[in-house]
Amino acid sequence: MGPVLAQLEQTGFATWIRESGVLYGYPLILFLHTLGLSTLVGLSAAIDLRLLGIGQGIPLKSLERTFVLMWAGFALNAVTGSLLFVADAQKHASNPAFYVKLLCVALAVGILVMIRGRVFREHGTGKALAAASLACWLVALSSARLMAYIAEFIS
Amino acid sequence: MSGAHLHLLLNHIPTVAFGVAAALFLAGLVKKSEDLTQAGFVAFFLNALLAIPAYVSGNAAEFVLRDQPGMAASVITAHQNAAMLGFVFMQVTGLVGWVALWRFRRWTIPALLALSATTFALMARAANIGGGIRHPEILAGDPTVSGAWPEVAAMGTAFIVNNPWVWPICEIFHFVGLCLLFGVVLVVNLRMLGFIQGVAFADLNRLLPWAVIGLGINLITGMLFFLASPDQYTQNAAFGWKIGLIVAAGASLLYPVVSDEIRLLKQDAPVSMIARCVAAGSICLWLGVIFLGRFLPYIGSE
Repeated sequence: MGPVLAQLEQTGFATWIRESGVLYGYPLILFLHTLGLSTLVGLSAAIDLRLLGIGQGIPLKSLERTFVLMWAGFALNAVTGSLLFVADAQKHASNPAFYVKLLCVALAVGILVMIRGRVFREHGTGKALAAASLACWLVALSSARLMAYIAEFIS
Repeated sequence: MSGAHLHLLLNHIPTVAFGVAAALFLAGLVKKSEDLTQAGFVAFFLNALLAIPAYVSGNAAEFVLRDQPGMAASVITAHQNAAMLGFVFMQVTGLVGWVALWRFRRWTIPALLALSATTFALMARAANIGGGIRHPEILAGDPTVSGAWPEVAAMGTAFIVNNPWVWPICEIFHFVGLCLLFGVVLVVNLRMLGFIQGVAFADLNRLLPWAVIGLGINLITGMLFFLASPDQYTQNAAFGWKIGLIVAAGASLLYPVVSDEIRLLKQDAPVSMIARCVAAGSICLWLGVIFLGRFLPYIGSE
């Protein structure tokens, strides 16, 4: 993996993201990543709160349309996340917090798909799924935030 | 206009405007007027928001005054500690004011009476010491100034500076608060915009406090960042704009609890043009806050 990641980092595009210093480069990608996460995690958390009993009168059907926005947020972050990864491929690939984050995001998105299928469509109870979703997002956010500190600690 | 200039403009709000808020609230109680009491609740919440730029601009003023000859650093420090204590009570008063608007509870009245009286007294003390920075004659022989116990601002600074784990933990919570706040803001405002349909606002209303909880988490963590490194923020223009947007965006949290149209909105009822504009504006303002927060390290400082 090492040489591939090193090559990835050395491509013109990855170098531009990392080193160009222009506002529409790294800072813009970082902002879009925050925008995507606050839309996806924010709406997902609001649905989790509803499933846990806050605002029980809210018909689930009325929240169905928010899934479009959550998938848009997820797509945005898959793209911007990949860009942020290639810019520092070796650093991120050697950071355990990065894998914890990826795993938790995958779990949380999987849970969201299950919530849509089992709770929204088949009207099952969603309390356990909602609690698991909140826990996954919390660990994902925490490990993502701690990546910079852990990278420093490793090097 | 510099941050120091802004402090001169804003530093009367926590005493004068807060006094007006308390007067509205008291007049409403005495005259048994629900409208006046509600106006008092609104004013308490707005005062709490405006206290944020009033407080942080104080550090901008301190940045300018710090190196001037004849400045009594101890008086500035005493003013800052007194102001932070009043600030904390001001925020709690604003929070209870919002709760009273959201779903009125009888306990909010005695709570607001006690909180507003305490806040007013603490802010008056902070203002008095602050006046003494330029007019030492008014503080002559006042033994309560030196030290200005308790040293709340200094304690906050020491907490985050001396414990290396506090900053990263605050960062995590700043994102947690952001997600709670933005998620609920989206759901509520998208209903007002008609993107979300088939839900009465009385039901969505139950989610609203979670937006305020998110805002509260971010106010606490954000103030800790600020206390750790005030110059880094006061000398950054993007930070000033971010705080301005927070005041405006925060005020938009009042609309769904104050507007009768929204509070009583039926399941499939359409929403007026004004309310749609407020909802769109609210989402844009919060997006602006996120944008400036993220760009802050890259723009704004020379």
